[in-house]
Amino acid sequence: MTFTALLTKELRSRLRRERFVWVIIAYLLVLGLLGIGFLQRENALGGGYQGFLLSQIGAQLYALLSFVQLFLIVFIAPAFTSTSINGEKERQTYDLLLCSKLSAFSLLAGKLIAGLANVLLLIAASIPLFSLVFFFGGVAPTQILTTLLVFVMTALVVGTFGLFCSTILRRPTISTAVAYTFSVLWMFLYWIVYFLAQGSSTSSTPRFTLSQWLNVSNPISALNSTLSAGQGGVTTFLLLRLHLAPWLAYTLVCLVVTIILFLLSAVFVKPNSLARFLSWLRQLGKEFQPSKG
Amino acid sequence: MYNRTMIKIQHVYKQYRSVHALEDLSLEIPQGAIYGLIGPNGAGKTTLLRILGALISPTMGQVWYDNAELTQSPGAIQRKVGYMPDFFGVYPDLTAAEYLEFYAGIHGVSRRKRASIVTDLLELVDLTPKRDVPVETLSRGMKQRLCLARALIHDPEVLLLDEPASGLDPRARVEFRELLRTLQGMGKTILISSHILLELAEMCSDIAIIRAGQLVIAGDVEHVTHSLGGGQQIEVRVLERAADARQLLKEMPEINNVSHENGDGEVIHAEFSGDDQSLHRILDALMSHEIPVVSFAPRKAADRLEEVYMSITEGVSSI
Repeated sequence: MTFTALLTKELRSRLRRERFVWVIIAYLLVLGLLGIGFLQRENALGGGYQGFLLSQIGAQLYALLSFVQLFLIVFIAPAFTSTSINGEKERQTYDLLLCSKLSAFSLLAGKLIAGLANVLLLIAASIPLFSLVFFFGGVAPTQILTTLLVFVMTALVVGTFGLFCSTILRRPTISTAVAYTFSVLWMFLYWIVYFLAQGSSTSSTPRFTLSQWLNVSNPISALNSTLSAGQGGVTTFLLLRLHLAPWLAYTLVCLVVTIILFLLSAVFVKPNSLARFLSWLRQLGKEFQPSKG
Repeated sequence: MYNRTMIKIQHVYKQYRSVHALEDLSLEIPQGAIYGLIGPNGAGKTTLLRILGALISPTMGQVWYDNAELTQSPGAIQRKVGYMPDFFGVYPDLTAAEYLEFYAGIHGVSRRKRASIVTDLLELVDLTPKRDVPVETLSRGMKQRLCLARALIHDPEVLLLDEPASGLDPRARVEFRELLRTLQGMGKTILISSHILLELAEMCSDIAIIRAGQLVIAGDVEHVTHSLGGGQQIEVRVLERAADARQLLKEMPEINNVSHENGDGEVIHAEFSGDDQSLHRILDALMSHEIPVVSFAPRKAADRLEEVYMSITEGVSSI
């Protein structure tokens, strides 16, 4: 009940801001203009859309829009969560939340879901643009679903890190900066390590292992795997004797990282967390004690 | 006057690194009292209220609400307490009703009861006409009343109000005071910190004076003022023969001390201990000696609180 109250308030506050309307407009403009630019370029090069080339154009347009959407998500998601908690402190409403029945879990979940709802709304708003691809064909429904999963997982992990930063860092500007740094690293760290490893000795096994782990947690690799799934399959990762497609492995990594960041946030979000936890355990113990007589 | 102690503070210390915000502070707050915390800035009033609201823990010492120790069950205590900080914690995008509905929700008030509670509280704080107005457009006094309504949303037994009347215009202060009296009538125990001493004296049944984290004195207003050498006082203004008037007053058994100041005519201050009959005898004596009295004004202990406060906080920085 406390969670839904917080979520309702957060959604009301966020969606009423004029800024959010402008974010949606800018978001769709970027995607739309890129799509139109791509089609005009293809038109100029190929002299019209004919024959089997149509499906290739469809797949290429879809890939372009998907990568732009991924970059936009990584760019926008931290903004919705990286000032969630320290913003309350700055607005001097944090003490009032602490005085309520709101648990650490409800507080964080409400803030995270409200922040992610904004991102999901952006993704939903872009669906009509993506549907243009179906005029050309070349994209399977499973590809669309797996791509959507990569988007949601990326928003989840980047958003949760923003939430974590807002929990442990006092100043909203610093937490936003740190959250963006993480987002950029989440996106590009694998590629940096990959090129560095290629430039030096190729026989270094530890580097290769690190590189592979980074590859599993890389959203670009995951998205790429969903795009090439319809074109003859992709290389898989071996995890506990299971061969996992990169987008699936990425989903699992995102879930694990999100859970860890969320739990860490829950530890730090309220003062005297340990005392509260012990008090809760004591209360629980009393409730489960057999009554005498 | 009161049946039981609602809050018992026992030897509480609070230290922030090298700063001692509270030192060995012990206090008992009776149930149903309007209890004033007085002290200069930095005396530790807000720290004490934040400890009582379970927002921070004391470095040492214990706080009891009825029979429950604060650090053992902070969550349960917070449900008993309505806290109003010395700033407006408001969400500018919400209307007054939405603001209260949100706090009702996070205090666990069932969805069924929320609407009626919000309506009742808006009526109590006289904000019904502003129900659907965004919070950011409310005046300071209205925001103050809205914050009080928020503190009452879960029907707490205890209200902790940190500087609730600061920045209010005189009319808003009077309305706020009336509102607190109404709440006292509803059985709430109210703890207020303030610098506005006269106001505290008017609305509080009990006060505690804190200086540099330490308790100077606590008790009902009359007791505190008397204990600090501030018994009742009479202010007599005469047109002439001030020396005769002073002499006459000094000879009366009810008068303890006589002092005077030159002003528009002459003003004599006399420390006095007695009842209304004694006051009548003093005035009668002045009149029978044909002393030209312009005004004869007994000052109650509460009216003298500011003088007492100034004397005991002398030399303590209020910055």
